[in-house]
Amino acid sequence: MPSLRARDWAARLHLPTLGALAVVVTVWWLLSLRYGAYVLPSPRAVLAGLGSVLASGEVWWHTGASLYRIGVGFGGAVVLALLMGLAAFLSPLARGVVQDFLAILNSTSVFVWIVISLIWFGLSNWAPIFTTFMITLPVVASNIVEGVANVDRRLLEMGDVYRLSGREKFTAIVVPSTLPYLVAGMKVGFGLALKVSVVAEIFGVTTGIGYIMNYSREILATHMVFVWALVMILVMTAADKIVFDGLSRRMARWR
Amino acid sequence: MAVTLVVSGVGKDYLIPIIESVSFSVNAGEFVCLLGPNGCGKTTLLRIIGGIEPATRGSVTLGGQPVVGDGRHDRRLGVVFQEDRLLPWMTLRENVALVLKPLGMTAPERLAMADRHLVLAGLRGFEGYYPSRVSGGMRQRAAIARALAIEPELLLMDEPFGSLDAQNRRIMQKEVRRIWEQTGRTILFVTHAIEEAVAIGTTLIMLSARPSRIRETIRNDGAVDRAKLIDDLNVMIMEEVERQQGGSTT
Repeated sequence: MPSLRARDWAARLHLPTLGALAVVVTVWWLLSLRYGAYVLPSPRAVLAGLGSVLASGEVWWHTGASLYRIGVGFGGAVVLALLMGLAAFLSPLARGVVQDFLAILNSTSVFVWIVISLIWFGLSNWAPIFTTFMITLPVVASNIVEGVANVDRRLLEMGDVYRLSGREKFTAIVVPSTLPYLVAGMKVGFGLALKVSVVAEIFGVTTGIGYIMNYSREILATHMVFVWALVMILVMTAADKIVFDGLSRRMARWR
Repeated sequence: MAVTLVVSGVGKDYLIPIIESVSFSVNAGEFVCLLGPNGCGKTTLLRIIGGIEPATRGSVTLGGQPVVGDGRHDRRLGVVFQEDRLLPWMTLRENVALVLKPLGMTAPERLAMADRHLVLAGLRGFEGYYPSRVSGGMRQRAAIARALAIEPELLLMDEPFGSLDAQNRRIMQKEVRRIWEQTGRTILFVTHAIEEAVAIGTTLIMLSARPSRIRETIRNDGAVDRAKLIDDLNVMIMEEVERQQGGSTT
């Protein structure tokens, strides 16, 4: 059935999305003719800019710097979130305290952490790292704690009946049932980390996607602002498709 | 035959008394069915005997050792729950092997033991399947294999076939009877289905309406007329159901 196969391929290549994208790019191009390169650079200028940062290797330098900060800040948040999950498993009292703290962190603005980290860490790598850490911690941790709270009690009771030790129950029952929550939390957390660390990079550091975007604006190279925005989107999509979709598929093998 | 399980004066109150006082003993190798109207505390009694929850009064001993209700015990007790309670992320083999860990076996020994009991429960060829890939009846078979694999002194079964359709239910009743004949384990089986109890049990214990006591203990060997026994039990259970309803409206 060729028609079915054609439709299948169309879906896999996101053909409708590509069609819509073509319309957007065309409109963008028409508007760029009217408003000029400072306000709205043409799609061709942006593409050329992307080619140049790829050719010079500048793209890796700034993306690497941003990813390093995300790695440290977000990685630290995941580690602490796991410890919070463990505490929530071991004691209902700790679970309550952790949940209250996370609620407070969750309602704190990104800007608070940026300003505080500038005061505490000055113009250094640690400002974006700390900001990323504080913003992603509640997202990842509240997912893990919720996962721990939702572990099927009937399965834990089964573990008690068969005299599994606390450690055996933890690895055989609690960890596997919490894993989907962890991956979901990490997925959202990583997206947030990229967005937040880039904002924090506007202040005080001389590398990273956030820095170079702001720098491009200052030297009136608007097309480079678009180039770096595009790089960010590509990094995010790649992480989603390669890392998180892969993890989700691996976890779903028993479903 | 040696007495293995002794239940003496066991009672349980929640807000109201559920179980007034129940005493009975079970010989090794017996297949006891615990019958009674819905809500009379059958499951609660089974959970007390299994040490899953504490009794308000009375005591339970298994092989001479008291069963304590805090989950910390060192006897071998297999439980088949109403739901299969298999871990969905483990294969049937891994599910059975898991409960052998506290018994101090090596990993190859555990897997061999798991396979042996899965075959006994009629799951040859399905050892590597995840629970979501097999039918409800097969999941209950795996739960039975898990309970048997620890070579329990006592096997507790709490309406294990309640969620199966009529046909599967009959098949599983035959299977449990076959497994009992093959292994000689001591089984305490809770059910509210009279036909089921008469079909599989060697001793039937009928509980009264709430707060429950033992109404009747009946030996069910080849000598009894099964059709008449089913009729008698049906009359008894209807009387208890009426008493329970009458009691709750006054």
